[in-house]
This record gives sequence, C-alpha cells and structure tokens, in this order.
Amino acid sequence: MKTISRRQFLGITTKMTAATAFAGTFAPSATSFFGLGGIAHAATKKITPFTFAILTDAHLYDIKDHKFDAFLEKGVADINSMNPLPDFVLYAGDIGQSGKDSELKKGKAILDKLKVKYRVIPGEHDWYLDMGKSWKGHFGNETWSFDHKGVHFIGMNSILVPDFWTMAGLTPEERMGRMEELECHNCGLWGVGSAQLEWLAKDVKNISRDTPVVILTHSPLWNYYPRWNFQTVDAPEIREILRKFEKVIAIHGHVHQVVYNQIGNISSAGLLSTSWPWPYPPVELPYPHLKMNRVDPGNFEDGLGSHAVNLAADFMGTLNYREFAHLLPENVRRGLKL
Amino acid sequence: MNGKTFGIKAGVIASSVVLALLAATAQAKEPRTPVQAEDEWNALMAAVKKGDDLWHNGKLGTNGLACGNCHPDGSASNPHTWPKFQTNLGKVGTLREMINWCIAVPMQGKPLPLDSDDMIAMEAYATYTHRGVAIAPAKDEQHGAVPVVSGPGYPTAGGH
Repeated sequence: MKTISRRQFLGITTKMTAATAFAGTFAPSATSFFGLGGIAHAATKKITPFTFAILTDAHLYDIKDHKFDAFLEKGVADINSMNPLPDFVLYAGDIGQSGKDSELKKGKAILDKLKVKYRVIPGEHDWYLDMGKSWKGHFGNETWSFDHKGVHFIGMNSILVPDFWTMAGLTPEERMGRMEELECHNCGLWGVGSAQLEWLAKDVKNISRDTPVVILTHSPLWNYYPRWNFQTVDAPEIREILRKFEKVIAIHGHVHQVVYNQIGNISSAGLLSTSWPWPYPPVELPYPHLKMNRVDPGNFEDGLGSHAVNLAADFMGTLNYREFAHLLPENVRRGLKL
Repeated sequence: MNGKTFGIKAGVIASSVVLALLAATAQAKEPRTPVQAEDEWNALMAAVKKGDDLWHNGKLGTNGLACGNCHPDGSASNPHTWPKFQTNLGKVGTLREMINWCIAVPMQGKPLPLDSDDMIAMEAYATYTHRGVAIAPAKDEQHGAVPVVSGPGYPTAGGH
C-alpha cells in the first residue's frame, strides 16, 4: 500500500512500475526485454577508456584536528598519488556530520587540495540544518549531468524526506539531530522527489540508448535496508527512466561498506567512507560473496578508503576499493566488475 | 518385618516431604498481577529508552562520536556473545567493559562505573535490540540487531 501511495504521489503510472518490477526480477537487460537487439550488456557505444576516483562520507565534525579530518586528507592524498591521475573525482555525500557551514567549509578546503576537478552531491548530514543552503553555497547545484569521453554522468540528491519537522515544531538543530541518527524512528524514507524525476527524464530524453551512463546518488537505487535508509524511495521510477540504456553503472555512498547488486541493466555498488564503517544489516545480501570482512574497532582506519573506477572501451567498469587498512577479501581487492 | 518397618518409615518420610512442600507452596510469593507485570516491563523499557538516548546522543565521548555511529540499532555489539576473550580488552571481559572501551578509545570519553544506572541502561538497550538471538559465547560472527518494531520501512524480498 505504501508503495502505491508513493507512486501516486509521484505521478508515475502503474503500468511503468509493473514493467520495472518485471525487469528487475526477471529480465537480464532492458534491451532483451523489449527485443530491441543483442545480448544483454552487448556493446555500448565505444568510449575512450579512462579512470575517475571517488570519495564519500567524511562526516567532518566542527572540532579542530578531528581524526576524520585526517582520514579525508588521507583520501585526497591517495587520489593525488595516483599515476596517472584520474580524470576527475566524484564525491557521494555527507561531507559534514551536522550540516554546519564550518564542517562543509572545512571539507571543501580539504577537497580543494585535489589535483583534478571534482563534483559533489549531498548527503542527509550535509542538508537538514539549513535545508541545503550552506551546501549549495559551497558546492552549487545538487542535481547535475555532464559528458566525458563518451560517458554520460548524472548526479542527484536522493536524501529528500517529507516534512516531519513543521507539525512537530522542531528547531533546525533538532531536525538535523534526528536525521543524523541512521535509525531515526520518525524521519521517513527519502528519495529524489518528483522535480528531480522530471529533470532526469528530460536530461536523458535525447541521449541514445547505446550511450554509457554512470549515475551517482548518496543512497542505493535499490531496496537494501529501508530501516537505515539504505534505499531511495523512488528508485523504481529512476530505474524505469534509465531502462532504455543498454548499460548503467550506479554508484552510491551512505552505506559505508562494500555491497553490490544488479537489477536489469543497472549494476550498483556501495562505497567505503573516510569516517567509520557500518555493519551489514540483518538481511540477506543479493551478492553475499562481495562484502568486506569484519572490522577491528581498535584500528580506526579499518573499513575506510578511497576508490578508483576504470572504464574500458566497451564500458566494462572495475571499481577498485583503495582501502586504508588491510580488510578486504581477495575477490573484492581485485576489483568489482561493474 | 524390616521391609515393612522401612516401608512405614519411608511412608512417614514421604508424607512429611509432601506436607513440607505444601507448606512451602502456601508461603510462596503470589504470581505477579498484570499490573505488576506491566510496571516491571515499563521499568525495563524506561532503561532501554535511557540506554537508546545514551547510545546516540554523543555525550559520553568528547569527539562528537556516539555508540550509534558504528552500531545503529545496537547492531554489531553482539550482546549474546559476552563474556568472551576480546582482543582490545586483552582478556575475557563483559559487554559492559567493551562499552567502556568504546567510550574511552574511539569516543575519547570517560568510562562509566560498571554498576551505574547509565551502564545498565546501555546494556539493556544493546540486549533488547538482540532479543531472541541465541546465546553463543564468543561466536566470531557479527550480528545485526533484530528487526525493530518502529521505523520507516522494512526490506522486501529481492531488493527491489
């Protein structure tokens, strides 16, 4: 019932969502479902191979010389040490912990040390003190797209929740405090909302289906563990809009862990933070062999890291977790195939 | 004769035992009334709530971190596995000692007295989030909290 009312709210037709559910469950790819050609994941348009890097979830506090400052610095230094340098860096949200301008400013100062350009999307920790005002002041629009060497990159703000604070009479600090808690009991499920769905539909309208697409969101575009907002409420609608493409790589922050899923034409991967690792929630993982080991609480760098994604000419992607400590099992250390 | 005498003696002893048991039963505490049971449950829930607050408010540390940063819903605190040998403690320790280690080391705070109300509340919260999980001393496997009764949503089969 909840799902239906959500979709009614978003104005997406039942027909579309039913098609999404079918594709997600059975169809190996959008193209084979429609019979538009080829084998699943057949060649997309050839691209010029390149590498980009990713950082996420620094959760900086407004405290001088906090250990998380050093971890973000380490991630930046690691990326700057790559030879050759990546073409650019993506940042998947939660620069700050409590949405304070001082936290975001500190984060920007550290990220500005990157030797290559970077693009950022927000996380809930960046947003709910002033509803994104400071974040936008530092980083610009939270919804964007650009093309690079034949790949279409999309960034979206996936952490928008319905208003739970006005009726409750909460102060901005109280609102932020509730959102800071992963297991908030009354904050609600978050998503991108109808305006961004419309934007996305327009953004990809004139892009050919054989164009490789990479989409960056803070939260997963699949229903992993809604209790901790390891989900995006309108992910089915996003997947529907992107279903015309032969292949989409979705990358997300928020989960602070190695996790992988594949739904239809979209392969999806979670990232390591530069703050702390989350434990795996008590649900069955779709790809249980692709996960990190249990962390040592005595090693503050365990479970943290930066990332590099290599894209080959046929748009085969490899996500390399550049872990700060030795934690990953060998199959993950070799890189996740996207 | 001996057998009969023994039989009579045994009978007397048996009767005495039965009488003693009946007397003990008559003097035993009455079962809890529904009101008492509710009061006791509410007292536990108040401790769990207090523990939940302490777990998340960041006031036990000095660097902003709270237990909930790494242990949402109490997950990976593994209350069903303690006492056990814990490397960071360097000995067989209790959940309370591990909570204090986390307060002192990652959170850079001051450890709580082990028998304090605050510590008992923390233990109550961690244990309540793992209700029904089988006791498994030193089980070397991280356990998530049991699915909670409040919250915004629940997973669906297949991750869609």
